[in-house]
Amino acid sequence: MSATITILAQHLLNGVLIGCAYALIAMGLTMIFGVMNIANFAHGEFYMLGGFVAFYLVSLMGLDYFAALPLAVAIVVALAIVLQHSIFRRLREAPMMTTTLVTIGLSILLENAALLLWGPQPQSIPTPFPTKPLSFFGVYTTPLYLFCMAVTAALIVVGHVLIRRTRMGKAMRATFQNKESAALVGIRIDRIYAYAFAFGAALAAAAGAVLGGFIPVEPATGGIITLKAFVVVILGGMGSFVGAIVGGLLLGLAEALGAGYMPTGWKDAIGFFAVILVLLFRPEGLFKRV
Amino acid sequence: MRTLKLVLAVAVSLAVAPLATAQETVRIGVVQPMTGPVAYDGNIYVNTVKMLVDDLNAKGGVLGKKIELVIEDGACNPAQSVNAAEKLVVRDKVVGLLGAFCSTSTAAVMEVAKKHKVPLITGISTAAQLTEQGNPYFFRAVATTPMLGNAFGPVLPKALNAKRFAFLTLNDDWGRSMQASYPKAIESGGGQIVANEFFQQSDLQFLSQITKVKAANPDAIVLAANTQQAVALSKQIRELGVTVPLVGEGAWSSDSYIKLAGPAAEGVYGLVEYVYTIKSPINEAFVKEFQAKLKENPSKFAGAAHNVLHIMVDAIGRAGTTDPEKIRAALEKTDYNGLVGNIKFDAKHQAYGQTVYLSLVKNGVPDVVETAKIAKP
Amino acid sequence: MRGLPVAAALIVVALCAVPLVVHDEYFLHLFIVSGVFVIAVLGLDLIVGYVGQLSLAHAAFFAMGAYTSALLFVRLKWSMWAGLPAAALLVGLIALVLGSVILRTRGHRFIIITVVFAELMKLVATNWVDMTRGFMGLPGLAVPPLWIPGIGTIDITAKSHFYYVVLFAAIVAFLLCRALVRSSVGHKFVLVRENEPLAESLGISAFRYSMIAFVVGAALAAAAGSLYAHYVGFVSPDLFNFSYVTIMLIMVILGGKGTLVGPALGAVIFTFLPELLREASHWRMIVFATILIVATLFMPKGIIFPLITHLVPRNWRLRNARAA
Repeated sequence: MSATITILAQHLLNGVLIGCAYALIAMGLTMIFGVMNIANFAHGEFYMLGGFVAFYLVSLMGLDYFAALPLAVAIVVALAIVLQHSIFRRLREAPMMTTTLVTIGLSILLENAALLLWGPQPQSIPTPFPTKPLSFFGVYTTPLYLFCMAVTAALIVVGHVLIRRTRMGKAMRATFQNKESAALVGIRIDRIYAYAFAFGAALAAAAGAVLGGFIPVEPATGGIITLKAFVVVILGGMGSFVGAIVGGLLLGLAEALGAGYMPTGWKDAIGFFAVILVLLFRPEGLFKRV
Repeated sequence: MRTLKLVLAVAVSLAVAPLATAQETVRIGVVQPMTGPVAYDGNIYVNTVKMLVDDLNAKGGVLGKKIELVIEDGACNPAQSVNAAEKLVVRDKVVGLLGAFCSTSTAAVMEVAKKHKVPLITGISTAAQLTEQGNPYFFRAVATTPMLGNAFGPVLPKALNAKRFAFLTLNDDWGRSMQASYPKAIESGGGQIVANEFFQQSDLQFLSQITKVKAANPDAIVLAANTQQAVALSKQIRELGVTVPLVGEGAWSSDSYIKLAGPAAEGVYGLVEYVYTIKSPINEAFVKEFQAKLKENPSKFAGAAHNVLHIMVDAIGRAGTTDPEKIRAALEKTDYNGLVGNIKFDAKHQAYGQTVYLSLVKNGVPDVVETAKIAKP
Repeated sequence: MRGLPVAAALIVVALCAVPLVVHDEYFLHLFIVSGVFVIAVLGLDLIVGYVGQLSLAHAAFFAMGAYTSALLFVRLKWSMWAGLPAAALLVGLIALVLGSVILRTRGHRFIIITVVFAELMKLVATNWVDMTRGFMGLPGLAVPPLWIPGIGTIDITAKSHFYYVVLFAAIVAFLLCRALVRSSVGHKFVLVRENEPLAESLGISAFRYSMIAFVVGAALAAAAGSLYAHYVGFVSPDLFNFSYVTIMLIMVILGGKGTLVGPALGAVIFTFLPELLREASHWRMIVFATILIVATLFMPKGIIFPLITHLVPRNWRLRNARAA
């Protein structure tokens, strides 16, 4: 392969790797948004916590890497359930101003709690994978990157199937469309809320735990992740799953290619510009709800 | 009326509360980031000055009084650093300031020092323009990035056996001034520049930038990053199959970097103002005490703390008074011999004469492979 | 009713006396910073408190005002007296353009776009190095002398002098906002907030009235930013950090949104508190975040304003209740 194509392929591979993570995080956010009608500004904190808990389990408690990942997700989900019962339950009929301010408060709270618990320095989760890179015709990757891509892609598929095929998923989608009629046909909105929130948190935590192997997590990570997830959700259409998946991959690729062929300082601006364009020309996003 | 009483009561209590200031001690203020993005390195600095002040006090302090440190967190944030400096100068009545870490914070604190006529020494902020402003109260006891570039740029092509150099630095004053000043020096040594890339302060994922640098096919990559980004950066560079030598300003010879980066740190060159493997009696004594008390090897931030504290105390001693104006005058006549050799200040209060080091990590130890002296600018 | 002007006058007198009583320059510094925040937060209260739109771009307007004024000073040698109105005007215009796009959307989209806009502006300040010097920031901003007819030129660089400039600006901002919310425009703000469909059915355009609050609020934030830039002498992209918008929201929400007095006091209290809590800086944000969550959930009227209304004479309370 010529050098130009190799480099292009490398950028595309980088884009897919990051894009899968964006998609996974945005799926959770769009789920919480669709079911609960809450723009969860603390969503990125679940990613951060997933990474930190996994780091803690592997690095400080010496747990096996593959056991630590699901355990980290479980611990974050447990925390999410506590938050749902103590705080989010009260936000059901609350005005948007209240729900947003509370989630902003929660994101500051979780970030600073992490700072107190684990300190400010970024941490990478030690992985058992060999660090030697693999080369395919000059395009480089590592076993860890491939593992990340495989896990995030698999979780996206699993999430999609859960929402499409299971009774709970169908009930959730019904709640998306119309809360009152969902309640009328006997769907317990309370339980739907709890599941949606736990599910959203789980996806973000899983992304954090997996990516934490090569992108160090720090307490402040959550903020930028939340922002990126919001960008994806607005691009894809608020409350749309397909939109979150496609939007996530698109953003990952656009950032990788944009940074690859423009001054890298503007990388983060690509998504932001896209949001403003979408808002001007297609306010409902690229995909409709559900 | 009740509100009024409340307001007055608050105002009065605020006015009366501050401390009685019959000073038994010589107070030196420190503004360093103890929280925020560079808190780790900031805390090393703070712990170092604390340790050294204990030593100095054990030897009788200065002017027959004990030295008292008043330390405030600037969080690498200009606004917070200004508040911290205001508090130190106005409330705590410190006779001199040490800080800040990030050049933007130092630039902001400089204005406070000038306003209140209190001398400020930085040992860390290397942005060239800080000393170009002609602020009479500001002193810099560390080589600027252009000075370091001038000292080492011409030797790099030979030392690294490289011709094509790519830059990948933090997008701030430091990284930008590096990319502006190094190329000329490197070219004078026979090298050429093939890529100029930046990353942001919040980035921990550099795949796009690394891929771009790789596309330029360099023989060596010149980096600027502090510990936390340096670790992720060097690991990801290797993970994308880039095997050329790395040389950087920043954390590249510190213990914490070498420990966290593991195998990715091997063979990395550092362009540093201080490294703990310097062979001199004063440094060996410092390293020994540091290892015993703080359980690691001193980083360049510890070295910077050692320099600025001693320069300040030396000036207070020579001034013979705690009058900040006299201390400022004494600082101008500094002729200090420390960890990195002799330091003097030029007319713009920029330090010169000290030695700088090119280090190379081998088996987890940053050996000195080359030295240079900072010329009078 | 008669008590109000007297109380107001006394408060102004007390505020004027602050530099005479408070000789500690550090506290004066905090009073000045509080005053700057009062101006910015009054603007935020118009948007958040009166028309009920949660704008997270407010700190960005503050930072843009600071940058506009600083750039005019550095590049064109404009003094603060020209830079401040120019900053307010320019940022007001930017808010007008931005608002014409985003105020048509409602709800969550609006909130998210305001954050996105703020981040975008930060990227501009960081990356447009030729103009803004990027992370290096713009140093060396100065406070100009003040010329008063009949008295002549006075140097206001001293804190005890600059305090009066900020106090004057804060009082003007307060009176301006008070006049606005008590006018027919202000009543329409509240109607839009309380019942948008009803307002629309009465021919009151939610878009237009949201826009007025948004633009005036942005201009106030910019004016505050300009004062801050010249006072501190330095601007950098850190001014765009999300933490500034958070602290401004805390000032408004805990102060009591939609009351002007509450947020203004909130600005003073939440400038002093973090400084007094320096020792516990690691816990500070945790405590604030908890207060924000609890107050939002259980005390929608805030803490400070209800507390004052409880303390002051009843007739004043009635009048304020009507005003709000």
